[in-house]
Amino acid sequence: MIEVRELKKKFGDVHAVNGVSFTAKSGAITGLLGPNGAGKTTTIRMIGTLVSIDVGSVSVNGIDAARDPEAVRQTSGLLTDARGLYTRMTARENIRYYADMRGIDRTKSDRTIARFADWLDMGEILDRRTEGFSQGERMKVAITRALVHEPTHVILDEPTNGLDVMTTRALRELIKRLKAEGCTVMFSSHIMQEVAALCDEIIIISHGRVTAQGTTEELLAMSAKNSLEDAFVALAEIENHHMTFDTPTSTINTNKEAA
Amino acid sequence: MGKSVNFAAVLTVWKKELIDHLRDRRTVLMVFMLSVLMGPLLLVGLSYFISNVEEKAEKKEVFIVDVSNAPPLANFLARQDFTVKDPKPDFRDLIKEGKHDAVLVVSPEFAEKFATGSAEVELVYDDTRQNASAQSIGVLRQVLRAFNSEVTAQRLMARGVSPGIVRVVEVRNTNLGTPAQRAAALMFIIPWMALFAGISGCTSVAIDMTAGERERGSLEPLLLNPIDRLSIVLGKWAAVATYAVTIVVLILAGFAVTLVLIPLPKLASLISLSAMQYVSFAALLFPFAPAIGALQMLIATYGRSFKEAQTYVSYLIFVFSFVPVIAQFSQLKDADWQLLVPMLGQMMVLNRVLRGETLGMIYFVVPLIVCAVIATVSIFLLNKLLQKEKIIFGRS
Repeated sequence: MIEVRELKKKFGDVHAVNGVSFTAKSGAITGLLGPNGAGKTTTIRMIGTLVSIDVGSVSVNGIDAARDPEAVRQTSGLLTDARGLYTRMTARENIRYYADMRGIDRTKSDRTIARFADWLDMGEILDRRTEGFSQGERMKVAITRALVHEPTHVILDEPTNGLDVMTTRALRELIKRLKAEGCTVMFSSHIMQEVAALCDEIIIISHGRVTAQGTTEELLAMSAKNSLEDAFVALAEIENHHMTFDTPTSTINTNKEAA
Repeated sequence: MGKSVNFAAVLTVWKKELIDHLRDRRTVLMVFMLSVLMGPLLLVGLSYFISNVEEKAEKKEVFIVDVSNAPPLANFLARQDFTVKDPKPDFRDLIKEGKHDAVLVVSPEFAEKFATGSAEVELVYDDTRQNASAQSIGVLRQVLRAFNSEVTAQRLMARGVSPGIVRVVEVRNTNLGTPAQRAAALMFIIPWMALFAGISGCTSVAIDMTAGERERGSLEPLLLNPIDRLSIVLGKWAAVATYAVTIVVLILAGFAVTLVLIPLPKLASLISLSAMQYVSFAALLFPFAPAIGALQMLIATYGRSFKEAQTYVSYLIFVFSFVPVIAQFSQLKDADWQLLVPMLGQMMVLNRVLRGETLGMIYFVVPLIVCAVIATVSIFLLNKLLQKEKIIFGRS
């Protein structure tokens, strides 16, 4: 379970995140949906202990992120948009580097690498140097590297960004597999179809705040729109408690803690 | 520095960085090859230069046009064992180009004027040409001065006057330095090159590990591992230090092999490095290169890209390479306070070691402490810098 309460972060004069609260349930896939600049990445970085928290709290698997960031990093796997690889090293060596650093023994890490290679269809590239890898190939290596310690909590920041159809599909399969293995998965995206197809719960974030939370159906009902895209646009535009559409307000989660 | 260091992680980072950079064949080969070749190139060059200087000083040759116009001068030169040579016809141009020694021109009226009193000769030289005519002009002037005083003395004696009346002070030259020793002043190049190569050799590695990680976007995921940043910094620095020390070892090996294998008689008399001198060299260079490596890593971290970091680091290297040049030109005398200045202190001690002086431990301990302080402060600040969100996420 990932619990985020009243999270705030300011960069200079900009409130990147301005009071975000939600819960990503254990064993479920939670989608963080929002337009560019909504504060998704900063929220994710705070959950992943990469960015310090100004106000509020994050707990991952019951561990307070501010108090024990290393324990959070032990149990969670985070993939941000920084997916740089070492080009003079092979894909396997890139992944192993992180496994070694975490003190995972070779037989175990090799097994994990083999499993991911099978899932993501990267057997052929595993022992090639990553120089000249395609975007998709780099992504596959980066995600395996981020999850080589088999975390129980997986957080992915716009994982499908810039990928071709085949890789996107492989990635979606991976997310489903992780859920099937009992992982708590959270990922951000600005593509609603993707979020709708995969997520058990969707959190819509806009202007640094959560404007709505619920299943696809709930969100459609909330916004009184027929298509998810319209619902997304409508829900994303809610600002500071003001609702621009007429639906039962009780189900809309604006600035208070999620159930 | 607070939290305990994860040594297993330090080792992992160190190994990865070494392997990663050793695979950068082109850079590594160039750096290592240059390090190995530096000793031979420098020593052979210096040897050639010194023997050239010596040869000129020993030759006792003067270039004179129409010496036959001045029989007394020719006679004087013959008695002093000088060989008189005819210059090339276009010697004026050649001197201007620095390709000819200074020339003395004797006019046809010399004999006539000499007989009646004072004759004139012309000295042709170019004092902006350090290596050619400027050196030989000294010889010619000296010869003429000696000739002058001999003739004066003879003339005075012929008139019954003691020559001492015009020679109030008799100057006797006792030059304790040999030409080779004077050329040896240039030997400061050896420690300078060794120090300079030690710090500039590991620059690309230091930059790639810091700004390179930022540029590639591999710093953020790296710092996501549950390892404290100090361990990561230490692992990276260990790799830079290994690299730097390897370069220094290669340089010293280059010097040693050259001195043993290539016969350089002129140099051998000046520097036959003893085992103790190699140890002294190593004692100064081993801590210096890694310490400056740490400083380069710190500065390079401010760069968002390899290129940007390269600019920052080049300023540092520029300062370091100019320290000895400034010291040389300002005729800075060796002083103990210099031990506290990185590069300058090392230069001073190494030069004295080269001259064969035996120095106390203090001359090695103080620079070592200075290096330790530089390395510690750099690593401490680098660790602090890697906590900054601006550095972790600020990509080009």
